[in-house]
Amino acid sequence: MIKDITIGQYFPGNSPIHKMDSRVKLLLDILYLVILFTTQSFTGLVAGLLFMVICYLIARINLIMILKSVKPIMPLMLFTAILNLLFIKGETPLFSWWIISIYPEGIRTSLFMLVRILALIVGMSLLTYTTSPIMLTDAIERLLNPLKKIHFPVHELSMMMTIALRFIPTLIEETDKIMSAQKARGAEMDTGSIFKRAKSLIPILIPLFVSAFKRANELATAMECRCYHGGEGRTRLRQLKTAPRDYIAIVIMLMLFAGIIVMNFFPIIP
Amino acid sequence: MDIIKVENLSFDYITRDEDGNIIEQSTALKNVNLTVPEGQFLAILGHNGCGKSTLAKHFNAILTPTAGKVTVLGMDTSNEDLLLDIRKNVGMVFQNPDNQLVATIVEEDVAFAPENLGIEPKEIRTRVDEALKQVDMYEFREHAPHQLSGGQKQRVAIAGIIAMQPRCIVMDEPTAMLDPKGRREVMKTIKRLNREQGITVILITHYMDEAAQADRVVVMDKGSVLMDDLPRKIFARADELRKVGLDVPQVTELCCMLREKGVKISKEIIFEGECAEAITKLPLKRKSAGLVKEPISTHNTEESAEIAKLENLTYKYSIGTPFEKTAVDNVNLTVAKGEFVGIIGHTGSGKSTLIQHLNGLIKPTGGVVLIDGRDIWDKSVNIRDVRFKVGIVFQYSEHQLFEETVAKDIAYGPRNMGLSEEEIVESVKNAAESMGITHLLGKSPFELSGGQQRRVALAGVLAMNPEVLILDEPAAGLDPKGRDKILGMIKQYHEKSGKTILLVSHSMEDIVKFAEKVLVMNKGKLFCYDRTDKVFERTDELVSIGLDVPQVTRLSHRLAELGINIGNDIYTTERAVMRILTLI
Repeated sequence: MIKDITIGQYFPGNSPIHKMDSRVKLLLDILYLVILFTTQSFTGLVAGLLFMVICYLIARINLIMILKSVKPIMPLMLFTAILNLLFIKGETPLFSWWIISIYPEGIRTSLFMLVRILALIVGMSLLTYTTSPIMLTDAIERLLNPLKKIHFPVHELSMMMTIALRFIPTLIEETDKIMSAQKARGAEMDTGSIFKRAKSLIPILIPLFVSAFKRANELATAMECRCYHGGEGRTRLRQLKTAPRDYIAIVIMLMLFAGIIVMNFFPIIP
Repeated sequence: MDIIKVENLSFDYITRDEDGNIIEQSTALKNVNLTVPEGQFLAILGHNGCGKSTLAKHFNAILTPTAGKVTVLGMDTSNEDLLLDIRKNVGMVFQNPDNQLVATIVEEDVAFAPENLGIEPKEIRTRVDEALKQVDMYEFREHAPHQLSGGQKQRVAIAGIIAMQPRCIVMDEPTAMLDPKGRREVMKTIKRLNREQGITVILITHYMDEAAQADRVVVMDKGSVLMDDLPRKIFARADELRKVGLDVPQVTELCCMLREKGVKISKEIIFEGECAEAITKLPLKRKSAGLVKEPISTHNTEESAEIAKLENLTYKYSIGTPFEKTAVDNVNLTVAKGEFVGIIGHTGSGKSTLIQHLNGLIKPTGGVVLIDGRDIWDKSVNIRDVRFKVGIVFQYSEHQLFEETVAKDIAYGPRNMGLSEEEIVESVKNAAESMGITHLLGKSPFELSGGQQRRVALAGVLAMNPEVLILDEPAAGLDPKGRDKILGMIKQYHEKSGKTILLVSHSMEDIVKFAEKVLVMNKGKLFCYDRTDKVFERTDELVSIGLDVPQVTRLSHRLAELGINIGNDIYTTERAVMRILTLI
């Protein structure tokens, strides 16, 4: 159930995309998101999506994973699509019934939004699929490094992110266990009014908090035992180094960006 | 060279209010003296709260003495400038493997300590690979911690310490939360590090068989060192150990019992091998024991009605995906009213999945679950009523406590049942009585000891007065005294209430003490289900499916190899003593 979500998972591999400098990968992924928002044409979106599919192939990540990462967002996507379908007004309605009228513009926009969200998720998932969370937080730490000058706690922030990522699966498992235990004591979680349901969460949330604090306490001691003393003087197992492949990636991405801007003016698909 | 030297160490836990005034002060350690030479494998024993964990935290300056002095390789732990040098040399591994792994990838986690020490990336790489190979986890280097078993996680935690290249590793109950397989893996690793790498090991444990493997044992009680000697000398003082809530290995107990009967055998025996040898050296009249059995009292179960029945029960995970896995495979089972059934099987054998079917927490993918003759997934049955009839107490059940007071927490189940206030008060009172926690009812569950919390959680299920009570590892992680106490209470409850009890445990010693019938699960299938003595007549088969059998059972197998037959149905010390006496 909760365990099936693949967003944020990492699949170790040896492809050029896996090996890219995670800073470059992160920045290029952000650029990709920008591209998706600047494109006005279907051509641009489809080109962006196709580009990602090629990246997935290079990274040797099963395309079925795309479907899996889209699944949990599906309700949101459908909701957006339906809203657009109902509320975008054009000139001549295709179809009218009661207060609902659907225009060709509405269909176009809702389809456009669907493809855009799909492309967004596919792009962000590629980043997490091919970059270990540690590398990702590392990249964020390095990129934010200039902020240290204004006493922004960059290292602490990235350490917190690492720990959060590490403990999400553990806490999910724990929630599952506590839920089973309370259900065995007759807890009802899926029936009753909203107020009643919120109240029924207390027997789950309190034990979860208690255990999270206990874990935090023990983890802090364990980290101290392993000589943790903040970010000062820390080295890293993996060094972030840019290689020719990173520059090639940057060039390809910029070309895609340029191409998509051009397509805004000369759309192949309207 | 001494790694650690403790001189007149005393330590008080002090709680202060906001103004810095002392509101609570409790003495955890009193005048402790201890010297640990380099290369030694030292085990520290003692019941919960005897101060052994507090002592361990002094070895690497997590705590510093209130009075006295602790030196690590000549460095005073009170000197803050030496902190990193001390911690680099004395690593520490804790009980809960989950709460000491920092990173999301195994090798990144192992690299954590060297990274903190500012070691060159290349050197970190070699250390990480080396450390992972030493704990046999190299092929898992790219896994995420949550994909690993408890034993594997604990070995990663050990690797994370080895990567600092310490001279000494302190382990605070590293096997308490593991299954027998995980325990064996971790113990093997610890011993190898000590023997091959010459790393000093200080092992805090509740398992006597682990302490037996050490070079030296220190027994602590009430914050002081009570005994300090070779393991065999320590365990020979069985009576004194029991007084401080500890236990002795089964073969030591066996030798003591034989001596009481006038047999001339040493009591300084801790391993089954040496015990078998000592027995062969006794003046034996015959080589084969008369296979007499002590009378076994069992309920006449034939006549009582069945309470739970499973027909062709099958459960598959992730059906239709490549990860499809059969957790429970075509199990047929009948439990009669009032029976006490023990369930054993190693982790992943399907026993946990099986028990969750009995109160409808899991819906079977095939087969039928009948409680009191009714299919619990029939439309006319309310699944909540089934849950009130079949209570489950999960492993580490103390994690489910949430109310302000113990009484309110116990009342949670009865309240969900829709009982009247008087009935709730009555059921809370009865449940608290049978778990011996009446004096704690007004307290907050969070200020109790672990053993007490466990009993509160148990009472919370008992208060629903279920017809069937299922307990998953109720004694896991407790010290020998806490263990005996909680199991004793469960037994008493069974005798008094006559309710049906299913007890899941890794420990056959516990099962044989209480259960009338035993169910063995193996690879999702029912391996056997029969009266306890019948099941344990097949100890060879149980060993062959990888179960951990009692030490006296291993002794009987060892004796058989030496040509002495005391039977294939030895699982209690009493029976072993009786059989051996017939040889003499």
